[in-house]
Amino acid sequence: MTKQDILSLLKAKLGAGFMGSTEPIPDQLWVEVKPEAVVQAVEILHRQTVARYLVSVGSDERDIKKRFAVYHLFTFDKDHFFVTLDVTADPHTPQVPSITNVIAGANWSEREIRDLLGVQFPGHPDPRRLVLADDWPAEVYPLRKEFDYSQKPESHPEQAYKFKDNPPGTTVVAMGPYFPVFEEATYFRLYVEGEKVVDVDYRGFYAHRGIEKLGDQTLTYNQIPFMAERICGICGFVHNVSFCKLVEHAADIKVPLRADYIRTIMLELERIHSHALWLGVAGHIIGFDTVLMQTWRMREPIMWLCEKITGNRKTYGMNLIGGVRRDIPRALVPEIRTKINNMEKEWLAVLDAVKDDTTLRMRLEKVGILNKEGCHEWAAVGPVARAADLDMDARKDHPYCAYDAIDFKVITADSNDVWGRTVVRILETLESFKIVKQSLDALMELPEGDIITEIREEIPAGRIAISAVEAPRGEDVHFLLTGGNNRPVRWRVRCPTYPNLPTIPDMVRGEQVADVPIIVGSIDPCFSCTERMEVVDVDSGEIRIYGQEELSKWTGR
Amino acid sequence: MNSAIKITGMLLALLFLSPLLEGLLRKFKALVHSRIGPPLLQPYWDTLKLLGKDNVRSVHSMLGPLPAYLSLAAVLLAGLLVPVGGSSAFAGGDMILFLYMIGFASVCVMLAGMDSGSPYAFLGIAREMMTSLTVEPVLFIALITAALKTHSFRFSDMAFYQQSSGTSLSMIISGIALLLGIQAQLSKLPFDIPEAEGELMGGPFIEISGPTFALYRWGFIIKQLIFSLILVQIFFPWTFGLSGPWAVLAQAAKILVVVLLVGLVDVVNPRLRIDQAIVYYFGVILTALVGLVFALVGA
Repeated sequence: MTKQDILSLLKAKLGAGFMGSTEPIPDQLWVEVKPEAVVQAVEILHRQTVARYLVSVGSDERDIKKRFAVYHLFTFDKDHFFVTLDVTADPHTPQVPSITNVIAGANWSEREIRDLLGVQFPGHPDPRRLVLADDWPAEVYPLRKEFDYSQKPESHPEQAYKFKDNPPGTTVVAMGPYFPVFEEATYFRLYVEGEKVVDVDYRGFYAHRGIEKLGDQTLTYNQIPFMAERICGICGFVHNVSFCKLVEHAADIKVPLRADYIRTIMLELERIHSHALWLGVAGHIIGFDTVLMQTWRMREPIMWLCEKITGNRKTYGMNLIGGVRRDIPRALVPEIRTKINNMEKEWLAVLDAVKDDTTLRMRLEKVGILNKEGCHEWAAVGPVARAADLDMDARKDHPYCAYDAIDFKVITADSNDVWGRTVVRILETLESFKIVKQSLDALMELPEGDIITEIREEIPAGRIAISAVEAPRGEDVHFLLTGGNNRPVRWRVRCPTYPNLPTIPDMVRGEQVADVPIIVGSIDPCFSCTERMEVVDVDSGEIRIYGQEELSKWTGR
Repeated sequence: MNSAIKITGMLLALLFLSPLLEGLLRKFKALVHSRIGPPLLQPYWDTLKLLGKDNVRSVHSMLGPLPAYLSLAAVLLAGLLVPVGGSSAFAGGDMILFLYMIGFASVCVMLAGMDSGSPYAFLGIAREMMTSLTVEPVLFIALITAALKTHSFRFSDMAFYQQSSGTSLSMIISGIALLLGIQAQLSKLPFDIPEAEGELMGGPFIEISGPTFALYRWGFIIKQLIFSLILVQIFFPWTFGLSGPWAVLAQAAKILVVVLLVGLVDVVNPRLRIDQAIVYYFGVILTALVGLVFALVGA
C-alpha cells in the first residue's frame, strides 16, 4: 500500500471526519481526524489494511496550539512508513473516544495519557490507574507543562488500588511486587484453582522514574542521549540510538558512514550479550542453572570487549546526535573479530545442546501461546511476534544505521510458544555475529576519525519524528515533537516491554502456576544492578577492586 | 553395651559425615557450571550459621519448630536402621519401621507448610503429596522385592543376600527403580517441584528460617547418605573381592558414585511440571513392579 492509497481510503470512508494530512518527513504520513471519527479511522487502519499499531502519545500543546493532542501511531512495515492519526482534545475538558475496544494494545497507552495528562477516554474497558502511584492525588497530572518536575504532591494513602474480584472457587497466589525470578518490581496477581491459573491481574510501574518529564523540562538535546541510555540497563544503547535518530531525522542531520557502522556494531554487541543473558535467566527460571552459568560465562568476554571499545561494560556513553564520540581504531578490529568468532563457536554448541534437550522442550513447548492474531491485537513486538510467524524487524522494515548495507536474515518460528521465542533468540544471535563481522570489514575500508557531524544550529521547533530501532527484546519506538529552548515539547519512549507485557494475562490463562514465571520471562523483562566498581589498568592488566565503603566515601563528597 | 556404642557411632556418622558428601556434591555441580564453587566444608558452616540465627516464626504458626524436631528425629531413626558393613545398628534394620520413618519425615514437612498459612506453602504441600504418593510406592515395591527374595523384613538379612546367593536380576531391576526414585526422594532437580524456588519460593519452607531451617536441611543431607547406603548395601552390595579397609573404601566410592549420579541428573535438567513428573514416576513404578514380578517367578 502506498501513502496515497491510505489517504484516499481514509478520505472516502471518514467523510467530514477527515481534516487534512501532511508529510512532515518522507517516511511519515500525518492525518488529522475529528475526535468523533477516530474510532472509525482506527478500525479502518487496523482491520482493513496491514497497518500495525505502535503506541498512542499524549501531548500538552496548550501553549503552542491551545489543545491537548493525542497521536495514534501506526506503521506499514513492508512499505517502510509510519502513519499518525492526530486527534485534538479540548484544553479545558480534554476528552477523546477510546480505541481500546478496537485495538486491545491501546489499553496501556490510553490509561497512561489519562494518568499523566488528564485526557479522558470515554468507553475504555478498564479505566484503572496504570502509571501513577496508588497514593498520588487525583487530578494532579505530572506531564502537564505547569507541573514542575521537582514538585512533590501530597500523599493520599487512603486511595487503594482495586484488584479484580476473585473468580468463584479460586485462591490468590501473588507473584510480586517483589518475586525472586522477576528481578524487578512487578505484580502479577494469580487467581488459581489448584495448579491451574484461572485469571490474572497486573499492577506495575512501581519504579516509574519520570524520564520523559526530565526530557521535556530540564535536559537539552545533547544531554538527553545520556538519560535515554539509562532507561534500560541492558538495551541502553538502543534507546540512545533511537533518540539520536529522532533528532537527526527531525533536523535532517547526516551521520558519517563510519559512525553508522560503529553504532551498528554496538547495537549488535548489545543484542548478543542481551540474548546470552536472557537464555541464562530463562534457564534459571525453570531451575536449569547450568544454562545460566554457561551462557553468562560466554557473555563475559563480550562485556569486556564493550568495555575496551567504549570504556564501560554497559551504559557506554558513546552516542551523540550526529555521530559517536569514540572511534573503533583499526588496530582493535582483529581482537573484536577473534572474540566474536570464539563466542560464535560456543554459541553453536549451545544451540546443539538446547535443541536436543527433551526435558527442556517438555517445559517450553506449547506453553504461553500467543498466535498471529493475538500479536496483532496486542501489538506485540520482537521475538514474541517473530515466534508467531510475523516477519517484522525494524532493522529491515525501517532501516537505520548501516543495516540496509548488511546481509542478514530475520528469524521467525511458527510455534507461538516459549520454545519458539527461545529458538528465535538463539538463531538471531548467530545473525548478529554475521552483522558485526560485516561491519568490521566496512570499518577496515572507511577512513578513521570521521565519526561525528556536530550540530551547530539550533534544532527548529515544531518538527516531528518517529524512530524505530530493533532492541533485543523487540522494536523500540521513540516519538519527538521539537520545541524551543533547545529541548523537546514531547519526547515519548515506547520500549518493547510496553506492548509485550499486557499480553501476559492472555498467555497464562489456563496454564499451570509452574509455567507463569517462564512465560513472563519469555518476553524478556530487564534489570540492572551495580554494587561495586572494578578498575583495570589496560597496560599492565592489573586489577583493583574498590569496595562499597571506598565508593560511598568518594561519592558522598 | 555393644549396641549402644554402635548406635552412638552411627548417629555421629550420619550427623557429621553426611555434610561432607553434600560438600563434594556442591563442588561437582560447580565443576559442571564452570565455577570454583564453595569450600568443601561449606555445608558445615552453613548449618552452624543457620543454627546461630534468630528463629523467626510465621504469625500463623501454632506448632513452631516441633515438626522440624520430629522430622530430623525420624530421619535419624531411619538412618539407624540402614545396614553398614552388612548389619544395622538398631532393631536389625526393620524395613517396615524404616518406611514409616521416611513417610513420617515428609508428613512433618507438610505439617510445617500447613502451619505457616502461606498460599505458596499450600501449593507446595499439594505437590509434595502428589510426589510422595507416586514416589513412595517405588521405595515400598523395591524393598518388598528384596524382602521376598530374602524371606526377611530385616535390612541386615537383605544386605547379605546377594553376597551369599549371587547377583539376582530382580534385585538389580529394583535397585535401578530405586535409583530413579531417589531423585525425587531427595528433592533434586528435575523433581524439586514442591520447593520450586522459582515459582513457590521454597514451598512448605517459605516461612521457615534460622535454626528450624537448619534442622530440615540437615535432615535432607542425611537422607542423601541414607538412600545411597540402602542402594549400595542392599541392591548393589558388590565388594569386588576386596576386604578390610579396601572394602570400606570401595563402599565409600560406590556411595560417591550414587550421589554424583544424582547430582549429575540434577545439574543437566530443568525442573519438570508436577503433571509431567507424575507421568514419569508411573514409569518408575512400573519398573519397580517388573522387578517384583521377576522376584515372584524366582529370578
